[in-house]
Amino acid sequence: MEKLLSLPFLIFMPLVISMFVISPLFTRNEIVVRRFAKSVFGFHFLYSILMLALFDPANPYISQIHFFGLDWVQSMGIKFIFKIDNISMILVMLTSFVFLISSFASKFNIRENHKFYYSMLLLLESAILGIFTAGDMFVFFLFWELELIPAYFLIGGKWKNLENESEAIKAQNSAIKFVLFTFLGSMVMLLGILLLHYYNFISNGILSASFVDINSSQIPANIQNIISVCLLIGFGVKLPIIPLHTWLPDAHTNAPTPVSMILAGILLKTGAYGIFRFNYQTLSDAFITIAPYLAVFALINIIYTAFVAYAQTDIKRIVAYSSISNMGLILLGLCAINQIGLSASVFHMVAHALITCGLFMIAGIVYLRCKTRDINTLSGIATVMPRLFGFATLIVLASIGIPAFAPFVSEILTIIASLNADFSDVLKFAAVFSLPLLIISSCYMLKFLHKSFYGELPQEFEKVNDITVHEFIVLASTLAGLVIFGIFPQVLLSMTLSMG
Amino acid sequence: MLKDLFNILLPHISIAGFIILQLVLSMALSPRFYRYARLVSAIGISLSIILLSTVQTEPQYFAFRDSLMSDSYTLLFDFLILVCGFFTALLSRNHIRTIKANAYTFQAVLLCGIFGAMNIISANDFLTLFVSIEILSFSTYFLIASAKGYYSKEASFKYLLTSAVSTGVFLFGVSYLYGITGSLNLSVIYERIMIQEPSIMYSISAIMIVLGIISKLALFPFANWVIDVYKGAETSVLAFLSTIPKLAIFGIVCRLLVFPLSNSFELTFVLVAASLITAFWANIYAIRENNVKAILACSTAANSSYVMFAASLVSVYNLSTVIFYLLCYVMMNISVFAFLNICSDRHDMNVKSFKGLFYNNHGLVGAYAFSILGLAGIPVTSGFIAKIYLFTAIASSGLIFVPFLLILLILMVVALYYYLKILMPLFEKCDKNVEVTLLKPVFSQKFVLVITAIITLLIGIYPEKIIELCRFIAYNI
Repeated sequence: MEKLLSLPFLIFMPLVISMFVISPLFTRNEIVVRRFAKSVFGFHFLYSILMLALFDPANPYISQIHFFGLDWVQSMGIKFIFKIDNISMILVMLTSFVFLISSFASKFNIRENHKFYYSMLLLLESAILGIFTAGDMFVFFLFWELELIPAYFLIGGKWKNLENESEAIKAQNSAIKFVLFTFLGSMVMLLGILLLHYYNFISNGILSASFVDINSSQIPANIQNIISVCLLIGFGVKLPIIPLHTWLPDAHTNAPTPVSMILAGILLKTGAYGIFRFNYQTLSDAFITIAPYLAVFALINIIYTAFVAYAQTDIKRIVAYSSISNMGLILLGLCAINQIGLSASVFHMVAHALITCGLFMIAGIVYLRCKTRDINTLSGIATVMPRLFGFATLIVLASIGIPAFAPFVSEILTIIASLNADFSDVLKFAAVFSLPLLIISSCYMLKFLHKSFYGELPQEFEKVNDITVHEFIVLASTLAGLVIFGIFPQVLLSMTLSMG
Repeated sequence: MLKDLFNILLPHISIAGFIILQLVLSMALSPRFYRYARLVSAIGISLSIILLSTVQTEPQYFAFRDSLMSDSYTLLFDFLILVCGFFTALLSRNHIRTIKANAYTFQAVLLCGIFGAMNIISANDFLTLFVSIEILSFSTYFLIASAKGYYSKEASFKYLLTSAVSTGVFLFGVSYLYGITGSLNLSVIYERIMIQEPSIMYSISAIMIVLGIISKLALFPFANWVIDVYKGAETSVLAFLSTIPKLAIFGIVCRLLVFPLSNSFELTFVLVAASLITAFWANIYAIRENNVKAILACSTAANSSYVMFAASLVSVYNLSTVIFYLLCYVMMNISVFAFLNICSDRHDMNVKSFKGLFYNNHGLVGAYAFSILGLAGIPVTSGFIAKIYLFTAIASSGLIFVPFLLILLILMVVALYYYLKILMPLFEKCDKNVEVTLLKPVFSQKFVLVITAIITLLIGIYPEKIIELCRFIAYNI
């Protein structure tokens, strides 16, 4: 059974199929394209479930691709190596799940260029899986850069017949902003990787870029600090950490709904994963020095963006800012540098991915029917969309940390972890201050729920339909995930608590 | 003497013979036979590539009283120059159709440029080097001016003036060096410099020599010609101009930096400063340009500066990265100019005039976009590997260069912006009522574009063999 599983197949299958989908060989019929893509994502999800079922934490999946019997670039010590350990496994599962539900969500949001859209979606999945499973710094960087191309097209592309041209221009500008910000981050990150590569060679004597070799090297402390800061700027753009966040609200607001779900659900997590893989694991000495400062940034993320989110009137912007706030919580969990903190932040990655997928889906459904996302214009739509209202209430309640939903567990665990961090008082301070500020999240979330669903129903919304089957599947599956992980958190925690 | 001739000069002689043949044909044939000019050049260059196999390289071969030399390094550069020349000759179809009467002369001048470039690489003597540089430069003046209109003549004249000044600087430096060492031969100078204490006079002469030569690369002190020349010249000439002089000049500059001019710390300092200033100027200037040719002019200047930065921190490892980068870079650049050659009927070359071309011809525009992404350093192109490999060289040269490297990396973000500016209109959909000028590629243009794009992709996927080759050559210099 184990012989059937292949890591390169898991990672490169979407890539190969995306090339097939975009090639002239494949049909232009949109229904066929959509169903084919959905079934590919479904198959991929099943395949990753199979991988999870056969996963043995003591014995992670490792696979190296050889080119004519050699490493990829032997002269630089780059091996095309992939490795799935516990955290990678969880994130791979999450990726494949979010892509599956976003392909379901695509049905009503994507009206044009189906072939191109689905091939870019598949390409993006490959790139993100590559990031989560890379066992070598340069391979990680390769996928980190590769992800820019599909992400650019997905955010900025013209996927439906827009009424006004300005919306298309806005989408394109925010795509450029996203690409430039990410590229800036990745260039600074590249500097860090180059230095890490070189100093690993100096101290270890092996020309290698794989994480296993770098973990064992003794790099001087001051150099480690420089490298850590370079890498943190790179990941901080993606995460995002506060001064580097300005691309996010624009990109999330102007992208089509399924793309927003992927951006907030998965793409942001690549930043957190990078911090875990590089700073937390590899440069652990420097991370103890840097963690208190980083915790301050995390606290600013949580506080500042929660206030900003409260001031927004566009539903998507509220969700986008709440994402930044939640990513601050994930960062705080990592900064605690203990097992609870790590599991809490991985748990929150999953929980937050589910929540944002649900919330962006709700925003998309509302926009599709009412042609507006402004909470001041919306009112009383609960009477015409009772089922959507039910889902919205439950997901909003989940997002503000009500028990029995997943975010409750991770928020509590994060606070406990940072109170337990005994190497610095800053962490305790951050924990104490982030706790009451979580209340603000309930303020803006309930404000959104209240303003758009309650109240008088204006005349123009009277003929609005309730959700369709596709949308029901997406919302129900996210909600199911939230409830399952909220009631049985041990499912996930058992996998992460064993990690150091 | 005759032995020397047969041992290293056969490729050069073949090119020289075809120059004379082209000139004879230009007088003998009537203008209506213009279309065979390209064929003659292509045959000449192919013959020269075949004759490269006769060149003696092990370990090094000196000829004509040590004024010419050959080793594996010169062989590789000769090969690259000839390949680029071959592609350029293929691309010149549209251009020689417009200058029918002068088609053969144009091809003769093109071959002259290739001849000069090959001689620059083989030079082991400042006199030979000077003459070869002049052969290359004079042919480029004519090639630039051969395009129709006033603008090309102005560009050519501007280039001529800049080159004249830089040549003066170069000769001044050579005369100082002759005064210090009493020789013009590179090997002799290297031997005599090694036993002397480094003096300030030596550094000044080294700086003048290198600054004089690198004007052809559009590096800082003599960079102002590049945008006018690129705007004015014809696209097939640009394919020549952005690859062959670059290969030749970097080839000789790296050799000079490794051997006779290696003893000067000040030179390194000046070159690092020059490349940083160029990178800054070129990348910032390109932001507000809307002409594709002008943007590419800035991009060549910027790319030269990255390579110069790595080359100036002399080490064998850096040399291998420089060779690899050049190899990848010329392929991407030829591909880009091959596409512009297909579109050369769009006279204004504004980025907006390329709107919606992707929906006209997926394959060719895809290959072009791929090459532009390669210049920007996005995977899976060879540009990605080349950039990483080049920057590993700078990162491993010492912590002091890390801030400069950071500046270069941030400038790459600016570069991505203007590359996106070229790319974006290609994928925009036009309104139905706007008429799009359709692409009318001919076989040779398609061939060059696709072949170079495929090379870019293949090196991007599996670079190991090429990197090994570059390392082998760098370690054998």
